[in-house]
Amino acid sequence: MDQEFQIEERAGTAPPVIAVSGEIDVATAPQLRECLHRVIAQGDSTIVLDLLGVTFLDSTALGVLVGALKRCREVGGDLHVVVADPRIVKIFEITGLTNVFTIADSLQAAGAS
Amino acid sequence: MTDPADILVTGDRIELRFPARGDLIVLARLVTSAISARAGFDIEELEDLRLAVGELCLLTLHGSDERYGDLCLELTVLGDAIGVVCTLERAAATTDVPGPEGDEIALLSEQILDALVDEHGRESQDGSVRAWLHKRRAGHAE
Repeated sequence: MDQEFQIEERAGTAPPVIAVSGEIDVATAPQLRECLHRVIAQGDSTIVLDLLGVTFLDSTALGVLVGALKRCREVGGDLHVVVADPRIVKIFEITGLTNVFTIADSLQAAGAS
Repeated sequence: MTDPADILVTGDRIELRFPARGDLIVLARLVTSAISARAGFDIEELEDLRLAVGELCLLTLHGSDERYGDLCLELTVLGDAIGVVCTLERAAATTDVPGPEGDEIALLSEQILDALVDEHGRESQDGSVRAWLHKRRAGHAE
């Protein structure tokens, strides 16, 4: 089994950073959905989602990200995705989501401070 | 031709059966990694197959009431390729209307399979849902 799934909300950053590690799949994606929806409901319309520690990601995870992106954009914000692992980038590419998300390869490039 | 160093050879078949729960799809991915490596797939192909088989399981579960069935995964080594069949047995169609996110995820699954494997399909037959894929090793494409 790969690295354990974890979600960390980093306090004190603007925009807020949610860092995920491990495998995001049908079993763990609901936890990410709940976290993203809660942060958006608290009034943060733009979020940086740090996926640098993610080792696996499936269509269920992508569905959660697309849903969160829609919610962010409905309130005038955006969802910035940080991803560097070529295997993870490839999944965004083959599903055409590199044209949908604002994707960066580092937190700095994503505008997290 | 089969590489003599391969542990698994043409005709070898592995079957995995588990309760049709999404949280157990990780088992299908783990078995796929092990079988693919023993069938001579390289690390990149192995990762592709691991992801593809997870999507195959998700597509098989899509639209079904997964609380009452089993997922059966059959992996067969076919010379320079591997064939995977995923069958959902004894599960009824769900009474819930799939939400837009469910349909969107199924579409994403199809896109991922289109990109990662040579052929794939899904059909319902005799009350069971069956999805399958076929992937050749690199350097053996026709």
